[in-house]
Amino acid sequence: MRGVVMRMSLAVAVLVALPTAARAARFQTQAMGPDSTNGCLACHAAQREAATTGVHSQHGVRCVDCHGGNADVRTLPEAHRGNFIGAPNKLQTAQLCGSCHSDPNRMREYGLPTGELSQFRASRHGQLLFGQHDMNAPTCTDCHGTHIIYPPYDARSQVYPTNIPGTCARCHSDAKLMAKYHLRTDQLDEFRNSAHGVALFQKENFAAPTCISCHGAHSALPPTATEVASVCGQCHALVDQAFEQGPHGAASRSGGKLHGCLACHANHNTAVVPVEKITETCDRCHASDTRLHQMGVDLQRSASQAKLDMASAQRAVSDLALAGHQVGYYRFQYQEAQTYYLQIAQAQHSLDLQKVDDLARRVRSVSVALNDAANTSREERWEHTLVLLPLWFMSLSAIVLAWLALRALRRTRDARREG
Amino acid sequence: MLGRVWTEAKAWGGRFWGDLKASTDASLLSMLRFVGLLYGRIDTELPIDQAFRKSLRHRLSRHAGWRHAFGGIAYLLFMVLVVTGVLLSFYYRPSAEEAYPSIQHIVSGVTLGWLMRDVHVWGANLVVLAALAHMGRVYFDAAYKPPRETNWLVGVLLLFVIFAFGATGYLLPWDQWAYWTVTEGLSILGHFPLVGGAMVELLRGDPLVSGATLSRFFALHVIVLPWLALGLLVLHFTLVRKHGVAPPADGKTEDLGADDESGVPFFPDHFLRSLIVGVVVLSLVITAAALYPRDVAAPANAAVPPTSMLSTWIVADVSRALIYYLGAWGFGAFLLLGAVMVLLPLFDRSPERRARQRPVMTSLGVVFFLGFVVAWAAGRHLRSVPVSTSGELTPYEQPVTPPGAALPRLAPTTTPPATQPVDTSSPRGPR
Repeated sequence: MRGVVMRMSLAVAVLVALPTAARAARFQTQAMGPDSTNGCLACHAAQREAATTGVHSQHGVRCVDCHGGNADVRTLPEAHRGNFIGAPNKLQTAQLCGSCHSDPNRMREYGLPTGELSQFRASRHGQLLFGQHDMNAPTCTDCHGTHIIYPPYDARSQVYPTNIPGTCARCHSDAKLMAKYHLRTDQLDEFRNSAHGVALFQKENFAAPTCISCHGAHSALPPTATEVASVCGQCHALVDQAFEQGPHGAASRSGGKLHGCLACHANHNTAVVPVEKITETCDRCHASDTRLHQMGVDLQRSASQAKLDMASAQRAVSDLALAGHQVGYYRFQYQEAQTYYLQIAQAQHSLDLQKVDDLARRVRSVSVALNDAANTSREERWEHTLVLLPLWFMSLSAIVLAWLALRALRRTRDARREG
Repeated sequence: MLGRVWTEAKAWGGRFWGDLKASTDASLLSMLRFVGLLYGRIDTELPIDQAFRKSLRHRLSRHAGWRHAFGGIAYLLFMVLVVTGVLLSFYYRPSAEEAYPSIQHIVSGVTLGWLMRDVHVWGANLVVLAALAHMGRVYFDAAYKPPRETNWLVGVLLLFVIFAFGATGYLLPWDQWAYWTVTEGLSILGHFPLVGGAMVELLRGDPLVSGATLSRFFALHVIVLPWLALGLLVLHFTLVRKHGVAPPADGKTEDLGADDESGVPFFPDHFLRSLIVGVVVLSLVITAAALYPRDVAAPANAAVPPTSMLSTWIVADVSRALIYYLGAWGFGAFLLLGAVMVLLPLFDRSPERRARQRPVMTSLGVVFFLGFVVAWAAGRHLRSVPVSTSGELTPYEQPVTPPGAALPRLAPTTTPPATQPVDTSSPRGPR
């Protein structure tokens, strides 16, 4: 009996203890608590947070791994002895980070790429730092943080998508600093107002490009004129394909005056050319008495017509919905028209006027079908008012008859009273 | 046994033949009696016939005129709402999934479904106006003074029941305007001291306005409130019949003819007048329904507040105008004035009934009744959410929002424009 109780209580104890232990173990691997053996923190209390926060502390990277020295002792000369390097300079920092981050065997565990340091050496930043020992050039810690390093998917990270433009602008908006390198400083303001900036900052669309999407992250350099179309085409693949097929693509590849996409859309201040301004944009290069100017006029006419058709299709669907019709199928048709409309935007990059006209005609045909449905519904609503004709005829007749009867009653009663 | 049945049947046949003979007079009842085979038997047990004749012959005071018709109009509209409501309930499905499609079906699929629905909507608005006009007539005639003070209270309760009908019926279409107006209304109710929170919990049945709320509102609208209204109406009419129409307020004209031979008989005089009024009211309701149908907004969506809201209910219009032009305190003061109206007979007990001799009461009444109508007219031109003016089509041509502009966090950025029909393009045009 006693043995059974003993065994049962032991089983209960194990059952209770097991999950607790497992939780404790998980906690250990996720975040290292302040390590009592980490003697550095005895003096460097300001860096205490770094020992518990950030991706490095989570994975057990300790002070001595970067700074050298001995963390097991708590007295000063011994702690700063041996391979102690103190605060590394920018050049040393890049090499220090690279000592782990260029090692495929160490990075495999975390699924991280290892080419950053070699990419960085090739970048303009790296050229300045490694080639000219220019200490104005950034090193790893300038973008990723020094002691507390967050992964790029953490919103606190300086390299989180919405934070990247601000991180680059810390140096690139500094007019005094950029004057040395003859660089402009208005890129961030332009980017903020561009289609890309609006998508990134206002719509929080993380598919939108940041600085590094075009310039490269570690291998930061501006794309050359002939590279531009390919860089844009990494996202705008279909538009790029159309562009390369057309005469502008050929002109761009030949390295002439046409700088790829930038001829019509700016680089940082990237914007869609509204359909109303197609001709105006063409006229920036083509004289207004040429055949190519006329092409722009034709393009604009087709695209504008398609835009009007889209608006009227939208109104038609909206009217049908307001009138209480089930509009699932109409919305499907509208989506079809929208697909054609978006294809016009793509096709006009190849300057294939025939294709643009064809797509505009398809938009029109859907729009006409939707408007027919809407007009039928409007006619039905109008027919409802026809009910009013017999209604008012009958009511007025009834009113007049009742009124006459009332008058006759009053007269007979008056006559009786007098008589 | 058989013999007894035969005797009974013979006696019944004899009585039926007697009834048939008695009904050869040219009265309105002859047809009713002829058709109703059992009627003769019931009639000998219960004096229905006499009661009916008596009510037809009932004489009203000579001063009872057109202005006394408002109460009848309100009752007529109530009956219109009952009939159209029953017809609508044949097709309507009270669940969050099916309510909206069933409304679409009623409007675009059912024969004359549009008429049912829009007559119901317009009836619901006009019944408030008719009830208020009736209330105003009673108020300025001081007809609420003893012995009719109980009926005034019953009438005010009936007005509240009408409001409750409107408030619960407003959610049933389950479109965006219905959903968000009720959401707004419940959040206002929640600010009511002490009981507000509990009342909202009870009515909503969920942290958000949801299918649970729809079920509750439907049950209230078609089960609870109709019975309540029926009971109060019976009480109201019984009391009217007991006390009769209030005598003339000026005190000079004599109260002539109430139930004596000099009065005006209900049939045919008042019957004909009622006929005229009834025909005019019905025609006006149907005309309004055919010319100004209520649109069907996008289906209710708890995640996306509509870009613009449209109220189609008079009480919501009035509240909005009061809050917009007079602020919360003005709205509160107007409510207080309404509360004064409710308890009127408790403190206004002087026998004086002439409007000119009661300047305070008369001016209060003018402020309340005129204010209600003016606020309604004003409220119909207001929207609770400003209309979005961007007529943009696709992401292909979206405008560049200026930096620092408020970020439209809840706005659907990827939804195609057509899935959110805004009523700017409604046949009614922007209001």
